[in-house]
Formats: sequence, C-alpha cells, structure tokens
Amino acid sequence: MSAFHFDTLVWHWPIAIYLFLAGVSAGAMFFAVLLKHVCLKDKAYLSGFVQAACIVAAISVLAGLGVLVLDLTKPFDFWKILVFYNPTSVMSMGVIILMLYQVLMYAWIAITFQKPINDFCKNRFPIVGKLTSMLQRYEAGITGLLVIFSVSLGAYTGFLLSAQPHFPMWNTGVLPLLFLVSGLSSGAAASLLGGVLLKGNPNGAEVHFIHKIEIPLILAEMLLMFTFFMGLVFSGGQSKVAALTALGEGFWGLVFWFGIMGLGLSAPLTMNLFMTTTSKRKFSYVAGTACLSLLGVILLRNFILYTGQMTVS
Amino acid sequence: MENSRRHFLKRTCALVAGASVYPLSRNDANAETDIETNDIKYAMLHDETKCIGCNACVDACREVNQVPEGVSRLSIERSEPYGEYPDQFYHFTRHSCEHCEAAPCVTVCPTGAAFIDKETGIVAVNADRCVGCLYCIAACPYEVRFINPVTKAADKCDFCRETNLKQGKQPACVEACPTKALVFGNLKDPKSELVTLLKANPTKRSKLDLGTRPKLFRIKAKEGEIIL
Repeated sequence: MSAFHFDTLVWHWPIAIYLFLAGVSAGAMFFAVLLKHVCLKDKAYLSGFVQAACIVAAISVLAGLGVLVLDLTKPFDFWKILVFYNPTSVMSMGVIILMLYQVLMYAWIAITFQKPINDFCKNRFPIVGKLTSMLQRYEAGITGLLVIFSVSLGAYTGFLLSAQPHFPMWNTGVLPLLFLVSGLSSGAAASLLGGVLLKGNPNGAEVHFIHKIEIPLILAEMLLMFTFFMGLVFSGGQSKVAALTALGEGFWGLVFWFGIMGLGLSAPLTMNLFMTTTSKRKFSYVAGTACLSLLGVILLRNFILYTGQMTVS
Repeated sequence: MENSRRHFLKRTCALVAGASVYPLSRNDANAETDIETNDIKYAMLHDETKCIGCNACVDACREVNQVPEGVSRLSIERSEPYGEYPDQFYHFTRHSCEHCEAAPCVTVCPTGAAFIDKETGIVAVNADRCVGCLYCIAACPYEVRFINPVTKAADKCDFCRETNLKQGKQPACVEACPTKALVFGNLKDPKSELVTLLKANPTKRSKLDLGTRPKLFRIKAKEGEIIL
C-alpha cells in the first residue's frame, strides 16, 4: 500500500488543505477576539497582531472554500449546496456555520477597525460611518456569537470526518476536539507570524499573551493525541489495526513521530518554554516557532485524512 | 454591560442547543410514521450456492442502465478456489448497493441528492442535485458508490428504479440470471417468493454491526476454510 494511492482512498489532499485553512481561520478569529477583549481593548486596531489575525481569518476561510469548490466534480453546481440543506448532514450544517461565521467575522472586523474605516470613508462614503456605529451598538452580541461560531467551525472540521461509520480512525468523538485544539493553535501561530511580518513588536504584550495560552494548548493537543490513539487501541478490532497502521513503520509513521510530534508539537513547546524563561523575544524566535506549529498542523490534517482512509471496518 | 453579555450568551447557547436537537427529533419521528404507512419495501436475495459467476447480471445491468465503461453498479467478486483437486469450488459474492434502511450516504449528503424513496425503500440518487463532493462515496461502508463519468454525479445500483422497475419488469440482473440465484421482491408481502425464501433459509447481511440495516440478503455457500 503506497502512502498516497490505495483502494479505499476517496478524499485527497485538497480536503486536508481545506480542513487546515478552516481551522486556521477559526483559530485566528478566536485569538483576535481574545487579544482585543482581554489584552488591548479599544486600541486593538493599532496592533499588528490583531490586523494579521483578521487578514488571515478572512483570507484563509475564503481560500479554503475555494479549494473545496474546485475539488467538487461539478464545481459550477456549488450553489446547490447553498440552496438545498439536509439537517442530518454535517457538511450541510457546516455550510450554515461557514456562512454565519463569515458574516459575523466581517461585522466584528468593521467594529474593531471602526476608526480607520470611518476616517477613510468620512468624505467619500459618509453612510459607512452610520453603518459601523449601528454595528457598534451590537458589539457584545456579535462578539459572543463570533466566538461560538469560530469554535463551532473548528470542531466541525473534525465532525465532518467522524460522521463516517466505517473508517474506525475517524469515527471517534475525540477527533473533533483534536481538530478544534490544533485549529486554535494554528490560528494563534498564523496571527503571530503575520503580526511580526506586519511589523508588530515581537516582544509585545500580544506575543506574551498568546504564548501564555499556547503552552497549555500544545499540552492539551498532546493529551488529546494520546487519548485518541489509546482509545483506538483499546477498542480493538479494526480500530486497533487502524491505529497501528498509522503509527507504525512507513511514510505516515515517520510523518507522525518526526513531523507532528517532533517538529509540530515538541519543538514549539520547548521554544515557548524557553522564551517564557528568557525575558526577551526576538523576531526569528517568534516567526520560527509559528512556522513549526503551522507545519505540524498541516501535517496532522494530511496524516489523519490519509491514514484514516487506509483501514475500513 | 457585563450582565447583558452574560444574558445574551446564555440565551444564544440555549437557542443553538435547541436548534441543533430539533431537526434530529423531527426526522426520527418522520421515519417511524413512514415505516407504518407504506406497504412496499424492496429487497434482494443472492443465493451464493446457486451463483456460477457468469457475470450475466453485470452485463445486463450495464446495458439496461447505460452504465459507462470503467465504472459499474454491480460486480461479482470471485474468491480463491477452495478445497483439493478435483473437489474445488469458488465463492461468488455480489458487490452492489445494499439499500440500507439507515443509509450513511443519505445521512451525509449535503444537498439531499442521495435519498431513500419513501414509496419503495430504494436508496437512490438525484443526479441533478448532486454537486460531487464525494462525501457519500467516502461514507458508504460497502464501497459501492462511484462518480459517473458522464453525469459527474454519484451513481450506484437503484434496483433499476428508473428503467426496468418503471416498466413493470424485474431488475435487469434478476432477469438475466441463468440459475435464478437472484430473487427480488417486496419484504412487506408475506406471500412473495423473497419472503418465503428468507423464512426458509439462514441468510446473512454484511457489516450489520455498523447499524446500517442493509436489504441485500445472502444465502452463503459452504465455508471453504477456517479463518481465525
């Protein structure tokens, strides 16, 4: 059995890219909201990290949907998915989540960047000012819903896979949680990377804040990974076969142990702990850690997608 | 401010929880009443002791349903010759849609293109509504769905719902079988040949542990070997 071609393979790498991008968007938005409300308050729009998080969240969710549409066998019929709904289908519910999430995301961005938007539009389109101040009145509601929907989006990517009864590695309740947590940490990494690239201060309050959350997040991810595979092994039968096939020798075993556990989780954890003990954070440290985290999450999505389809029950 | 936000969060949580549970409960209720009201439920029996592996069913299916080359709605899988020469024999297993009562393809389909015909219990595809997301193909435990290269939609056996059945005939595979190994009929008709045979013979259905409740029954050929 080769790593990328086998009989039971239905979904290929574009789906892994989509799962990754949706997770990044959900995570980036989640951290943008946290940064604004816990850390920066009204000055949020000045922070490179919040700007980066908003740009990343908006672009990656659109790019992910683009990949998804191009991957359909009938890309021009994609509108049918927006017109016809099936309440028992995770994908259909995901479409609703994605649409509402995007509306809330743009509304929240408009509220947060109210000042620069209003300044820009004051003479050109005065109506925009009225619109943003109207949104401003519902800020609490929009923020609350946005957090709920970003968490839903992160978990949905896992439910999408776990709704399939005969792939034992996907059909578990831990998968959505694993995808949610790794999605959040990839969002944090993308915001940090974008932030330092947008000339944010690598030793700023935002970086300290995100790193403080990232350490427990990585530990939780490792714990979930452990629970995920132990659960499969203890279920016995094909579940056990699936876990051992994925983790054993061969290409995907290497990806898991070296790429995901090593480069994607252990290395960022070590660097985060190191940066917490030494007082000063540098551009290269922050950017390097973020790149490793992102790499780990891309690999995790591909690993789960491919190895999950290798064993059927 | 803090207080109103808390109230708001509470209410939205309740709303989201309610909204997500409601459709599930309604759907189950519908399914219950449907089972009681209609009086046709088609199923098929493959008697593997009679099957000689001639593939006449496969060819008939392709011709009647105009299935393009390279894909198939139905295939007969032949397993190893068992036993010692000259006492050797093959096992033949029908590989096609099992028309599950709880069909995973129907559950996951985002547009409702995969559906169970309420009149007949047949799992069918509305090719026009299918967008080709491959979700059903991945979700089907029996791996019988495929993308039709002409329509670009998911396709599979529908008991000739659009062709022979519409003309009042038996499905193409059943008509073509020279040894009468295939029996098609209505599970709700106690006098039908199908029900009589199902009552008289021990039958098997595959992957029952997944809870799919398939309607393709098999009379198994004698066991060829010990598998631990």
